[in-house]
Amino acid sequence: MNCQQFQEVLPYIIESGGGGEDEEHLQTCQSCASLVQDLRYIAEQAKLLLPMHDPNPRVWNNIERSLQREGFLSEGRMPPLGHITKNPTSQAQAKSWTPLGWALALTATIVFAVVLTNYKPRQLPQNQLTAQNSSAEPSQFNNDDRQLISQLSQQSPDARGVYETSLRDVNAYISDAQEAAQRDPQDATAQELLQDAYEQKEMLYQMATARSLP
Amino acid sequence: MMTTNRARIELTTATPHRVLLATAAAALAACIFLSSAHAAETRKEARIDIAPGGTVNIISGGGSVALHSGSGRQVLATYTVHSNKIEVDQNSSADKQRVELRTHALPGQQPTADEARVDYDVTVPAGVSVNVSTTAAPITAEGLSGDIGLSSETGQITISNALRSHVRVRSMTAPISLKDVTISRVDIQSAGGAVQLNNVTGQRVAASTTSGNIEYHGDCSGGGDYILTTHSGAIDVTLPPTASVDLSARSTTGTVENAFPLQERHHNSFVPQQGRSFAGTSNSGSSSVELQSFSGKIRVKKQ
Repeated sequence: MNCQQFQEVLPYIIESGGGGEDEEHLQTCQSCASLVQDLRYIAEQAKLLLPMHDPNPRVWNNIERSLQREGFLSEGRMPPLGHITKNPTSQAQAKSWTPLGWALALTATIVFAVVLTNYKPRQLPQNQLTAQNSSAEPSQFNNDDRQLISQLSQQSPDARGVYETSLRDVNAYISDAQEAAQRDPQDATAQELLQDAYEQKEMLYQMATARSLP
Repeated sequence: MMTTNRARIELTTATPHRVLLATAAAALAACIFLSSAHAAETRKEARIDIAPGGTVNIISGGGSVALHSGSGRQVLATYTVHSNKIEVDQNSSADKQRVELRTHALPGQQPTADEARVDYDVTVPAGVSVNVSTTAAPITAEGLSGDIGLSSETGQITISNALRSHVRVRSMTAPISLKDVTISRVDIQSAGGAVQLNNVTGQRVAASTTSGNIEYHGDCSGGGDYILTTHSGAIDVTLPPTASVDLSARSTTGTVENAFPLQERHHNSFVPQQGRSFAGTSNSGSSSVELQSFSGKIRVKKQ
């Protein structure tokens, strides 16, 4: 089973848990495993939307009064105040507002189902997959970057933002330059850009290291 | 009516006393505040011997660093410390080849950014190398020669009137400005800071940024190599008609624009692509100018 075949049966896998062949593919494909993990997480979070509780009726009353006071709401645009205050029990209040909760939950479920059904990841030729994996998320940090940011955060929280932005930018530079150099290995400019990108990253590390000295 | 008048009289007589008392209290508070502030702000001056060809290293956080060129065999360092939570260490090697000024927090103190400020004003003899490293302090260097290494994370770096120098500048987001730096070797690296070069010439002038823009105004004289590189920033070059350059510009995914008269080259290391790259020479083409960008826009204009 390849990635395309796997993703075609993805909705079934999410619902039922999948079979042996699917499990086998998940064991070997990091990309699909990660996708399934994300979708299962979304499904779990969607379930949490169902038991929606309404706020205290006083909250709605206060909002209504404020809107009327500010002139945004004239009398009669909402049910009169007495409408809610006449039924102050939580049961009555739940009765009047629960359909909204259910409607929201239902909408979320439908949106999730549509996303799940229509999800078609961009398929790349197999020879490009390795390259894509190395530069798929240029804005992400590698372990060294994370360690550096973590150390900087402890020493000087103010510096964290500056270094994070710079590292993200320089990683994007490296990723773009790598892609250009791989596309045309004979291109001297692409090689020079790649070298420059690495030198930029080296500079960031040197500056961060110098900063951490006592 | 009488009662009201008496009350008014009492009020009018009482008011000057109160005003007087309040003024005295405010003056006292101001005196205490000013004296404590004055005590926290300390200005020191040091004259440190240095050997010919020696090096001055300055390490600081916030505040400012101003460098000037002087004569003699001494480094004249004046610095103002803005709190009593930090101090400046002055060190000099036995052979006087190395002088160091380092700002650091006193043990057990955690100064705020404002408290950690130190303003340096340092005069160095001609030919002495200078290395300055700051986090937020802007650095200005005027009239220096020799090796100049300046580095700042966010403090603006400005160099002017440097002759026959080797200038190395690094910044994270700090803007970098060089003006009238001639017959020099210049290496600039910045992640996100903008680089401005006005009349900067020499054997090698190289500026590289990740996202910062690069501007060059000058004639690229001296038969040197001028290399401006950026990932996503823009490169703007303005040349006078007398500029003698062999110029190539290339943007991988961005665009290029040329409004400077160039003669077509017979041989190129790449095939020029309309809107993405161009190359050519002007006059005798004595200096090599390479402009490279990944996604930024490159513009070459006539002065």
